[in-house]
Amino acid sequence: MQPSYRSKYNTHVIRIIVILVVLAIAGIGVRAMMIPESFGRYGHYRGEAVVDEMNREIRNGTNASCLPCHPYIKEMHFSGIHKTVSCEFCHGPVAAHIQDGKVIDKLPKKQGEAIKTLCLRCHNQIIRARPRESIKMVEMPKHLEDKKVGIDHTCDQCHNVHAPLMWVKQAKAMMGVVEEEAKQ
Amino acid sequence: MKDIQAEINKGRRAFIKKVLEGTIAGSLLLVIPAGAMDIPEQITGMREEDGPFIKKKKFAFIVDITRCIGCGSCCVADKNEYNVPDGHYRTWVERYVIDYDDNVYVDSPNGGLDGYQVPREDVPEANVRDTFFVPKLCNMCEKPSCVQVCPVGATYQTDDGFVLIDQKRCVACSYCVQACPYSVRFINPVTKTADKCTWCYHRVRKGLLPACVNVCPVQARLFGDLNDRESQVYRILHEPHVISVLKPGMGNKPSLHYVGLRREVV
Amino acid sequence: MRGLAETATAAAGYAFPNDLHIHWSLMIVLYPYITGIVAGAFIVSSLYHVFKIKSLEPIARFSLVFAFAFLACATLPLLNHLGHPERAFNMMVTPSSTSAMAGFGFIYSAYAIVLILEILFIYRPTMVALKDMSTGFMQKLYNVLAIGSDNVSPESLALDHKIISFLAGIGIPMACILHGYVGFIFGGVKANPLWATPLMPVIFLLSACVSGIAGIIVTYMIIMKVKGREVDLECIRTCIQYLWGFFILDFVFEMLELFSHAYMATHHWETLHELYWGPLYVSFWILQVLVFSVIPFLILTWMNLFRLGDTLVRIFAPLVSLMILFQVLLMRWNVVIGGQLMSKSERGSVYFHPEWLEKEGILPALLIMVLPLVILYVLSKIFPFWLEDDPVASEPTAG
Repeated sequence: MQPSYRSKYNTHVIRIIVILVVLAIAGIGVRAMMIPESFGRYGHYRGEAVVDEMNREIRNGTNASCLPCHPYIKEMHFSGIHKTVSCEFCHGPVAAHIQDGKVIDKLPKKQGEAIKTLCLRCHNQIIRARPRESIKMVEMPKHLEDKKVGIDHTCDQCHNVHAPLMWVKQAKAMMGVVEEEAKQ
Repeated sequence: MKDIQAEINKGRRAFIKKVLEGTIAGSLLLVIPAGAMDIPEQITGMREEDGPFIKKKKFAFIVDITRCIGCGSCCVADKNEYNVPDGHYRTWVERYVIDYDDNVYVDSPNGGLDGYQVPREDVPEANVRDTFFVPKLCNMCEKPSCVQVCPVGATYQTDDGFVLIDQKRCVACSYCVQACPYSVRFINPVTKTADKCTWCYHRVRKGLLPACVNVCPVQARLFGDLNDRESQVYRILHEPHVISVLKPGMGNKPSLHYVGLRREVV
Repeated sequence: MRGLAETATAAAGYAFPNDLHIHWSLMIVLYPYITGIVAGAFIVSSLYHVFKIKSLEPIARFSLVFAFAFLACATLPLLNHLGHPERAFNMMVTPSSTSAMAGFGFIYSAYAIVLILEILFIYRPTMVALKDMSTGFMQKLYNVLAIGSDNVSPESLALDHKIISFLAGIGIPMACILHGYVGFIFGGVKANPLWATPLMPVIFLLSACVSGIAGIIVTYMIIMKVKGREVDLECIRTCIQYLWGFFILDFVFEMLELFSHAYMATHHWETLHELYWGPLYVSFWILQVLVFSVIPFLILTWMNLFRLGDTLVRIFAPLVSLMILFQVLLMRWNVVIGGQLMSKSERGSVYFHPEWLEKEGILPALLIMVLPLVILYVLSKIFPFWLEDDPVASEPTAG
């Protein structure tokens, strides 16, 4: 005689199927709710992400964001051979200086040894990697010795950092020296 | 001074007019940070682009190895633009030194961020045959591996060809970092998401040049529109030059091109 | 600030500045290790349930529960690795059809369902019997685990038997997919010459079988020792046979992969050569190949070619299994970490030494490896692993 069972022979199988179906439906439902609204608008990504990226803060302005307030520097900088050097490379990003049209902080000016390091980023002869359209290269401290100035001189004692040859030319004019122009 | 002001006002007026006319997809422009539009446009016509994507222009990036002097301004500008955490690089500059025995020595201390102040100590000065610099950045591949492998659609390619990262969906699994053949990706320890060079998409969309292009003193980095036959990038890419891309065998089809790329460069 | 990636130190040549980080460290070594053990243990059970290897009966059910204990922990290393674990479900919400990684959530879930169902069906008569023998919370628990059914009529058990055969049957390809897929996650990264080989899924799968069988042998013999019971040596001998077979394939393919790289000698070989004879020399050649592959292979060959006495089997079976477990762990390390030690600059490599207390360091790794054993212990209080503890063991249901 077979014992009597409360459940039918396939009760558990049916229950498992029901549970799996419920889980699947719940899964599909939750997934549908979790997909961001703009997802898939342009491709397999969140469309609004493009807007997020576009609205990233612009921290480096351009020279044009500096010059309106610094007209004297502008005049000097663009008359010299450093006119391709960006303001923000040496001084830092405009966003650290101006926010919402107001000055929030001063930008650093390199001084002393730091200015020498800065100049030598481009003008260091020993690196020997400055290609064809070359810029003026110097070898330190040979350059100081050649020019017969103190060995501890920093670059900005002879060269205006914005227009490197300005003072040199002025000095030469005062001294009546004109011939060396071609060599520069 | 006056003409700049006038220029700004002109740009701004035309721009506001466009917004008012509703020609610009609404949500795109509501949150433009103050100040962005005060700067005169560097890429002409960008502020007239009004769709979700750039339509009229197809941008290319060219790095001219024969011009780069390794000053690192690009790296400085990049770090400033994005506050890139130390030890991670959206762009970097490599130094190649080749000696008379054809040995190649490459280095990039701190990604070239501090410039190159000293020569390599392990190569005798007299034996150096050649030295040159190679700036590296996102190759903005036409077939980007990073987009292919991103499991959640957080790295994506826009219709205008930029490969960007959705900081709000990235899970930082690092699969894209592994998949990028150029190692331009890293996991940003601050946002805890993948990060990489975007060719300054936020600047470009507002008509400004990428930060690195803007500061380069010797025009070793060029950015421009290939649809404009007068543009410098169009001319360079369509005139006889030694032009190549990095690791062409990977099949990623980079849109970053190198002028004067040497066979030693990987 | 310490990043999410571990810091590596330059070893030789020039590594790209961003390559001085190991983005996939110990956690991603553990992930294929754990899923491998899961897949391997499942195969052991299938050898009995599907391929009717009768001598494996004593460990057939245990293998399934063992697989489940590890499966329950397989996602832990991944979650610990993610920079944004709270976004983990993005993988299932917006899976990218082009990503080799996006399928993991689905494959893992499907496999988990099959495994859980198979355990429930196999244990159902036992759960019904235990329900009647227990009280209070345990009674309720057993009732739930029996899916609220008390029907153990021959008709019902025949149905169960059909379902079990079906689940065990589809479980084999699923276990293979689960782990072969993990291999493909690496094998599909074209930028990394150490990973990018079609052999990678095969190697992963074979090493998975090896680690699963070895794991079962070790835990089975330890549990028996602790319980003071007699180990079924026929069962162990069969396991050792399979271990030998799978290990031969595994080791041959591992070496084949290296050999073809060396023989074809593309420009990648130079980098790979520097890697295998540089940062990976000790962990690959000395440890993985020499100590933990060649020696176990010799022991296994000896054990299989000669019929050893019972005492020798009792000593060497767990010993060789432990060595093989280490071999597989080393293989995971050498693949996962090794692949990242060479820079994509193709002219430099880095060193990496894991820290103890990092978020993804050695201590968290140990915790994650101990956790499945804790889960196994808890499960042993619910599911009788061994036939002699089972009130209905004499019934033909388990087959």
